[in-house]
Amino acid sequence: MTRINKDTIIRIANVFRRECRILVSRPLYLFCMVIAPLFCYIFFTTMMDSGLPKELPVGLVDQDNTSVTRMVARNLDAFQQTDIVAHYPDFTSARTALQRGEIYGFFYIPDGTTTEAITSNQPKVSFYTNNAYLIPGSLLFRDMKMMSELASGALARETLYARGFTEDQAMAILQPIVIDTHALNNPWLNYSVYLCNTMLPGVLMLLIFMVTAYSIAVEIKHDTAREWLDMSGDSIYVAIIGKLLPHTIIFFIMSIFYNVYLYGFLHFPCNSGIGPMIFASLLLVVASQMCGVFMVGIFPTPRLALSFASLWGVISFSISGFTYPVMAMHPVLQAASNLFPLRHYFLIYVDQALNGYSMFYSWKAYLALLLFTFLPFLIIKRLKNALKTYTYIP
Amino acid sequence: MKQKNISFKGKVLQGIQDMFYIWREEMHKIFTDQGILIFFFLVPLAYPLLYAFIYTNEVVREVPAVVVDNSNSSMSREFIRKVDATADISIMGYCSDLEEAKEILKRGEAYGIYYIPEDFTDKLMHLEQSEISIFCDMSGMLYYKAMLLSATEVSLEMNKDIKIARAGNTTDRQDEVTAQPIEYESVALFNPQNGFASFLIPAVLILIIQQTLLLGVGLSVGTDRERNRINDLVPISRHYNGTLRIVMGKSFAYFLVYAVVCIYVLCVVPRIFSLPQIANPFTLMAFLLPFVIACIFFAMASSVFVKNRETCMLMFVFTSVPLLFLSGISWPSSAIPWFWKAFSYIFPSTFGIKGFVAINNMGATLNEVAIFYVALWIQAGVYFILTCVAYRWQIIRSRKNAIAMHMASRAAK
Repeated sequence: MTRINKDTIIRIANVFRRECRILVSRPLYLFCMVIAPLFCYIFFTTMMDSGLPKELPVGLVDQDNTSVTRMVARNLDAFQQTDIVAHYPDFTSARTALQRGEIYGFFYIPDGTTTEAITSNQPKVSFYTNNAYLIPGSLLFRDMKMMSELASGALARETLYARGFTEDQAMAILQPIVIDTHALNNPWLNYSVYLCNTMLPGVLMLLIFMVTAYSIAVEIKHDTAREWLDMSGDSIYVAIIGKLLPHTIIFFIMSIFYNVYLYGFLHFPCNSGIGPMIFASLLLVVASQMCGVFMVGIFPTPRLALSFASLWGVISFSISGFTYPVMAMHPVLQAASNLFPLRHYFLIYVDQALNGYSMFYSWKAYLALLLFTFLPFLIIKRLKNALKTYTYIP
Repeated sequence: MKQKNISFKGKVLQGIQDMFYIWREEMHKIFTDQGILIFFFLVPLAYPLLYAFIYTNEVVREVPAVVVDNSNSSMSREFIRKVDATADISIMGYCSDLEEAKEILKRGEAYGIYYIPEDFTDKLMHLEQSEISIFCDMSGMLYYKAMLLSATEVSLEMNKDIKIARAGNTTDRQDEVTAQPIEYESVALFNPQNGFASFLIPAVLILIIQQTLLLGVGLSVGTDRERNRINDLVPISRHYNGTLRIVMGKSFAYFLVYAVVCIYVLCVVPRIFSLPQIANPFTLMAFLLPFVIACIFFAMASSVFVKNRETCMLMFVFTSVPLLFLSGISWPSSAIPWFWKAFSYIFPSTFGIKGFVAINNMGATLNEVAIFYVALWIQAGVYFILTCVAYRWQIIRSRKNAIAMHMASRAAK
């Protein structure tokens, strides 16, 4: 290792300047470092602007068609999440509409429901949800279940009112136990909060993986690796620090941008203050860069390094557990999830911004992100060797 | 330019011969280029397996939760016992108060709290409505769903018993009617266990087809440009004389490869992981034909912008995540803003995913997916024309460049 002295700093500065020239000379870098992340920030936040999907289209098959069943339909329509868009004459046509994707579910009231209810014959109504679409299916399930409970209660309630019970008394008889739900720190069940907080850093991380791996591997491809090393005084550390520092600055600015955008502009829950999140973002940026160096160290050709980077990056979205929890995965994958920087960032986000716990509770995740920065040491010799001797074979 | 004298028939024959020449060249390139091999074979082979492995358990079971039972009555204990018995929740301990329970949440050892107040049973005895609170960590929607659903199920069940006990009926049948004047049933169609894999994997599979084509074709074009002396896409050779023969020759090569890849990805993979697959094979095949053609020409048209081998990866890989959202599978189409909906019509995957899910998971026929089917044919047509235009432009450019080079070298002499 070179001792840190004035020469080293000058060398780093030279490599830094060289890298800045490369970055501005190719529109590809502008695209991957600025335009693509910005596009994704805007995309995901505007896409899920409504937070929780409202007015999901549902259908109704009302073969009874009495005042009671029409009331049931009106009540269902009044739910915020559901919007009855069509009435169908029979089950088959409703199912076809479901398959066409026009509706996400339908309510089925068979002929004679009201008569049977009045004569205490316990009729049966059904609701069908299309769970091939998980989110709308689950949301509709909730509303339709509630609706069915209410419909069932509606008749009994009328009887109770007639016998002189007050509304509270009637409800206490119909629904003795009620559940009062507290969704901690996201009481609106806002999907945008739930997904964007990890999705945006995830996209940035994927791009960091790729840009880092590419920018180093391309030196081998273009036969400029020797020149780069010479400029760094044959020190691989100087070479890498000088080269990646401009990237770090740009990516860090991009990460501050999403932090400000999410917590400052969109007012997503940030119970820890923005400080810890910006710190976590910096750690994520550096950890991702070092993963990129590691990848190119393992496979010092552009196509393999980039394939590795894209594979690891895309899998991160699934394995970090912000959509499908890690605890439900196979034990092997639970262990493997630790190898993805986004997983640790997600844990930090949950503890800090979402729940506002003190940083102490997430020390493991911080430590893990720090450990990623030591990854390049494992392959540094191999990488230097590759830079000196490899020639690109198209 | 001797070719001008050849008859029309001769020209067509020549064209077909050239087409097969170009097809052979492209096939050779596909099977010898490491990068293309990765995208055309390794990724479609390995990725679906990896994804299916991640989501193999389909649902979350036994979410750890803690209880604060201030009532400590037989009713409250019954509630807790029944919640613990559900598949979704596992009660991992009791806490004396909410603060202690929240501390356990902080340490990440549980994801939710059931809080039963002191007057829980008293209220029930006084015929008042009695409340049970649940507090849920919102780091994952599935935890919330598990907590809420199990509590609701148990409360409905207990309500039924309470009502029956109060009514004092004489027969069982009366009990049933008292509990529920109108019975209801819920049917979760096409994904009965509400599983994650059954819902997400079909969309991912279709996306893999489109994205690997985009990357593989991009890589192939990048290679062509890099091998060419003056960075042109189309080499100067007597076989590369017509637009149509280049476009047809290349696309035919991709089509043959992807016919095989599609069968593996879309038919074999769902079978291995026993994902829902109730498609009629002919319907599925008929629908996939325009999808694959649209993807191929979409990839070829986009690849004109690829200058180097690797740039296509930097440009295309990250788009997979937004594309999954645009398809309306994870985020419902009805909640997508109009401008993104319009934007989504550019990509074959949007219609491909919707149609494939309808046919594969819901057993739809071509009749039900007619809109997507027609849209894919339109895309196939539009991208075919765009590809031809792009290649025509490239041919003219490479000729100009070649002539310019020739002139320059002559002038130098």
